[in-house]
Amino acid sequence: MDLEDLYRILRTGHVQAQGIVDTVPDPMLVLDSALTVQSANRAFFRTFAVGRYDTIGQHLYELGNGQWNIPELRHLLGEVIPKSSAVIDYKVEHKFPEIGKRVMLLTARTVFNADNVSHLMLLSIVDITERSRKEAEFEAVFGELRHRLKNVLGLVRALANQTKAEGISGEEYRKAFLGRLQAVVDANDLAFSDHGEDGLEALVARATKPFQTAPETIIIEPGPPLTLASKEIMSLSLLLHELATNALKYGALSAPAGTVRVRWDVEQDDHPLLRLSWRESGGPPVRKPTSTGYGTQLIQFAIAYNLGGKVEQNYRTEGFEAEIVVPLERAARPD
Amino acid sequence: MQKTILIVEDEFIIAMDLKVMLERLGWRVLGPVARVAHALRLLEDELPTVALLDVNLGDHPVTPVAEALRSRGVPFAVASAYDKPELFGGAVLEGIANVGKPTSEWSLLEVLAKLSPP
Repeated sequence: MDLEDLYRILRTGHVQAQGIVDTVPDPMLVLDSALTVQSANRAFFRTFAVGRYDTIGQHLYELGNGQWNIPELRHLLGEVIPKSSAVIDYKVEHKFPEIGKRVMLLTARTVFNADNVSHLMLLSIVDITERSRKEAEFEAVFGELRHRLKNVLGLVRALANQTKAEGISGEEYRKAFLGRLQAVVDANDLAFSDHGEDGLEALVARATKPFQTAPETIIIEPGPPLTLASKEIMSLSLLLHELATNALKYGALSAPAGTVRVRWDVEQDDHPLLRLSWRESGGPPVRKPTSTGYGTQLIQFAIAYNLGGKVEQNYRTEGFEAEIVVPLERAARPD
Repeated sequence: MQKTILIVEDEFIIAMDLKVMLERLGWRVLGPVARVAHALRLLEDELPTVALLDVNLGDHPVTPVAEALRSRGVPFAVASAYDKPELFGGAVLEGIANVGKPTSEWSLLEVLAKLSPP
């Protein structure tokens, strides 16, 4: 083998090494024992927005106006590396003048040459800025989710506690509780649906559907389209459920010929208002109940407490009526 | 004399539940109210024996109410789903008893007995 051959082998060896280094997706530097950059891969140039000629042959700490002169990195290369042959995933945070703050995992490994005297160092730099931002985001979302879950469980507990159990059978209690729970589930579905189903019309149809004993027992008059906020959906869903339950037990829906008419209007003003009316007819003669039940209290909390609205209940002999007025949270947005 | 309790809670079904639960336990309830301003107005008219506060009122912390209660010497507890309510509501909630959320009648009783010994 002559010198020419040896050179060729070394050259191809170098080319192969460079090829390997270039295929590594994370930034990588090859340093000599004096910390001068022998080689760098494409990911390094791309990630840190630097050019090849400003990098190769430069001392690491002088690269790009000293932007790699990082105390933690100096400690790693000066103190840690000489005592151990490799350091893996050493976390370093640094603010670069050009590309801003970066969170990096550094892995360094010493590679001894055949002569066992000189050595090279491979330094790989994994940019985890985006990953750690996503992790922090995930933590925040997860915390919020946990908080909401507890709130939902609190709500279910309250519903179970608010459903009258005195003087009725277990079956009746279960039916009443599950009916209310379903109204909450439906409201949640509507509030989170992204198919434009968060409108009042869809809500009225869905909340009254279980009570449509025959077609057209509950007549929904077409009204102006209205998109609702999620708390409005929850309150109105529970309200309609309670009204329909009462109608089925004592009102128009307890008689074969009874009907309910639901209609609404939106008052467009500086403070837009929703007026919703529930009118029963064709049922047995109505008498005002002697005591206010849980249902009435639930309606009051849903409309007055939660939405700052008003509920007026009229026990007319020929049919029960409820008029609901709700100030709309956002400016009404007709579709 | 009948003891009074101020309830601040923005989730309406939970507010209603706490009210019914406490009335069943023999308390007279002030509120419930869902907003800081409303709670502060109530406190101008009448000081309750104790108060029970939700920490997060629709993105607003209950902190001003807690501070008003502290300065007037009214003991209070929180009903919060947060493990560390002080992270959201500030230092005034540090070390304050939390009846938790969902709130069980048992933990409510235990905490109220500490705030206002029978």
